[in-house]
Amino acid sequence: MMKNDTMHLAGVYTKYVMKSWFQYKVDAVLRSLAVFLREATGIFVIYFTLLEFDSLNGWNIYEMLFLFSLLFVTYGILILFFTGLRDFGHTVRTGGFDRFILRPRGLLFQLIFCNADWFAAIGHGGLGIVLFIISAGKVGVQWDVVTILYYIFAIIGGVLIQGAIFLFLATLNIYLLETGSIKELFYFNAREFAGYPISIFSKGIQAVMIYVVPFAFVNYFPAQYLLRKPDMEQYPEIFMYLTPVVGVVMYLLAYGFWRFSVKYYKSSGN
Amino acid sequence: MPYIAFGKKSFMLKSAYRFDHFMGILNTIVRIFIFWVIYKALYGSRTEVEGITMTMVTTNFILSIGLEAVFYVHDFYLPDKIGNGSIATELLLPVSIKGRMIAENLGNAFFKLLYHFVPALIVSVIIMGIEPPASVSMLILFIVSALLGYGVLWTISFVVQMSAFWLINVWSIVTIKNVFVNVLSGSMIPLWFMPDWMSGIVEFSPFSSIYFTPVQIYLGQLSSGQIAYKCLIQLIWIVIIYMIGNLLWAKGKKKLVVQGG
Amino acid sequence: MSSFIEVKNVSKSFKVSKRAKGIPGTIANLFVPKYEEKKAVKDISFAIEQGEMVGFIGPNGAGKSTTIKMLSGILYPDSGEITVNGYVPYKQRKDYVGSIGVVFGQKSQLQWDLPVIDSFELLKAIYRIPEKMYKKNLDRFMDMLDMWEFIDRPVRQLSLGQRMRADIVAALLHSPKIVFFDEPTIGVDVVGKEKIRSFIKKLNAEDKVSMIFTTHDMQDIEKTCNRLIIIDKGSKVYDGSIQNIKEKYGTTRQVEVEFDRNYDISPMKDIMKNVDIKELNEACGRKKQFIFENTEVQIDELMNYLLQNYGVKDINVSEPEIERIIGKIYSGEV
Repeated sequence: MMKNDTMHLAGVYTKYVMKSWFQYKVDAVLRSLAVFLREATGIFVIYFTLLEFDSLNGWNIYEMLFLFSLLFVTYGILILFFTGLRDFGHTVRTGGFDRFILRPRGLLFQLIFCNADWFAAIGHGGLGIVLFIISAGKVGVQWDVVTILYYIFAIIGGVLIQGAIFLFLATLNIYLLETGSIKELFYFNAREFAGYPISIFSKGIQAVMIYVVPFAFVNYFPAQYLLRKPDMEQYPEIFMYLTPVVGVVMYLLAYGFWRFSVKYYKSSGN
Repeated sequence: MPYIAFGKKSFMLKSAYRFDHFMGILNTIVRIFIFWVIYKALYGSRTEVEGITMTMVTTNFILSIGLEAVFYVHDFYLPDKIGNGSIATELLLPVSIKGRMIAENLGNAFFKLLYHFVPALIVSVIIMGIEPPASVSMLILFIVSALLGYGVLWTISFVVQMSAFWLINVWSIVTIKNVFVNVLSGSMIPLWFMPDWMSGIVEFSPFSSIYFTPVQIYLGQLSSGQIAYKCLIQLIWIVIIYMIGNLLWAKGKKKLVVQGG
Repeated sequence: MSSFIEVKNVSKSFKVSKRAKGIPGTIANLFVPKYEEKKAVKDISFAIEQGEMVGFIGPNGAGKSTTIKMLSGILYPDSGEITVNGYVPYKQRKDYVGSIGVVFGQKSQLQWDLPVIDSFELLKAIYRIPEKMYKKNLDRFMDMLDMWEFIDRPVRQLSLGQRMRADIVAALLHSPKIVFFDEPTIGVDVVGKEKIRSFIKKLNAEDKVSMIFTTHDMQDIEKTCNRLIIIDKGSKVYDGSIQNIKEKYGTTRQVEVEFDRNYDISPMKDIMKNVDIKELNEACGRKKQFIFENTEVQIDELMNYLLQNYGVKDINVSEPEIERIIGKIYSGEV
């Protein structure tokens, strides 16, 4: 009964979120295209660059596109659920968070469902799928039950890892007036790094990508399981299987931080 | 001059967000650094590709990404005012909105030049090194051309913002504009490495004159005749795009008056 | 038995960052931020019964909104206790907030781009309002506030007064037992204000809903509330009826007299020492104003004196406006 009621509210929220988006039809329709193109910018760069340079540390253009596809497919799913976290700074500044507190529902639930960027999801996810289709057949992966199951779990883990980073960064808005740059640095720039095989970076950056903002588990290690490139040798083999675990653990940690911070918000105001 | 006050206010406002500001500098350095690392991996043991050395590539990224941080244009300045209806009252004020917009953007840009570009430049040069300017006169011409580059970027944003009169929400269009700016201006990929057919397109677009022209001048890749030609092209773009923007501005205002917002 | 709303010895302070002035100060602040402790609420206590309408007023930064935020569960108090309707607001959030409604005059809770009715439907799902109750409340409020004509219009196209009415209904659909109004008439025109006030009064009378107002508009309070709590610099400085505050602090009286001709009444100054006389340039100087404290001068004494010595055509005695009394309390005159 309880669950049913929550699902119902999620449905009602979704209905009105969609309706809101369609109030500005031109922008709504162009939004997917804009996101697609914006994210494809990085791909153009790789494409043009590899035309000139052939390969990057042994990765050819298709393998690179496959690496990218994991990043975008996971982000596409993520943004359906975490748009409210992306825009949380604005919510806090305009008093919207107070309003959430005044309603008899879970705070995180409201935050997640009161806004879902369907068009960004289509743009990101669409790009991910296009890249997957272009590359999946040309990177020598045998698509059988095991690899498909592995792929699905890797996607779920990847969504959770990024969701945890989103939640953590959103929570910082409770303490800081403006967090645009931190978000830019720890999420979007980190993702920029993640577009490339981490083996090309210095040890320090690799450590960041594995242990601090673990994007390596979103795409590099899962891609390595499927592609088995020689540069995997320098990392423990188990890394290829950890993505779902890292996702769950990180998400729980971020959730704990969120709970703690909501308490802080209630004691300090903003 | 009220515009100086607007510029000053914008400068002060920018400095109110202290922590965010430091992260912003770090962010710029990291962005430059990412491209540097990637190109180092791509170059591997090669010293030059198509006559371009790694240091020239580094210089390109430091200057164009550094300038990108300085060349701040608030793309939603007018769309926000149109969206919430405050444009109607602001049009009645004795200061021009366009003038105010330029002043505020410049105030911001000036702040970023001093407290963002300069520290980011110093740190980047220490970590990655940079090609020195070809000569003092080239350095001066670089600055002139960079200012013109800002003009081009500003006028492009101006035109795009005008679409808000008809569409209200312009996030998509602004984003698509930025895609073009990013790919075709050389801030994400050095334009030397574009395939020939792309270079042709780039030559005929206004975008390359934003960052790439100043960088080429800085590196001494252009003869004085070419410099004069390129700067003239920048100027022409500014005039043409501004005129288009102004035309739309007049139409938009008229639409506002007819429909009452 | 304890009261419906109980606030006991509640205090709250915040850390605020100090902003330096001028460009050099701004730059210095970039590197070394400064903080100071600000006591927003100091040891406040009061009790409110079910069905009461209380005006909660004070100058800007007096601690009004901090108190309201603590009452509604948004903030924890540093010390002291709050119970409302048997709940501790900041501890039992989900159970508690279902029984309250909050209207922020300056922050709409409606969906900006959607028709008003869509926001209501969404709230129905959020508050789990039963269909029957929702229909009943909606029909009743729509009629009372005259909202049928714009219920299908997007919120962004509404006038401020219409939006405010819609926001008030949004806070009431789930039949709350207590409603907090924070500046519910701000920016609304006179007719709109009147509509809102009479609606609130009627709702209070019919449903016995407790209501707490914070507002700058004393008319709001005078026309709706019977009780007033004034806080200033974080402390409660008055708690009682509006009538009482007038009797206690509104000691100034103002008598306007129209004489039958333009007298020279300066000799009167020696006899009635504590009366301030003002010449009004109306009716060819025949109108004069007498201002005095009713603790010092008996009004009948003044009247008798005037009637005996001069020809009087008209007399008008007025009590002071509540605004003036409040102003005097803030400035520390009383």
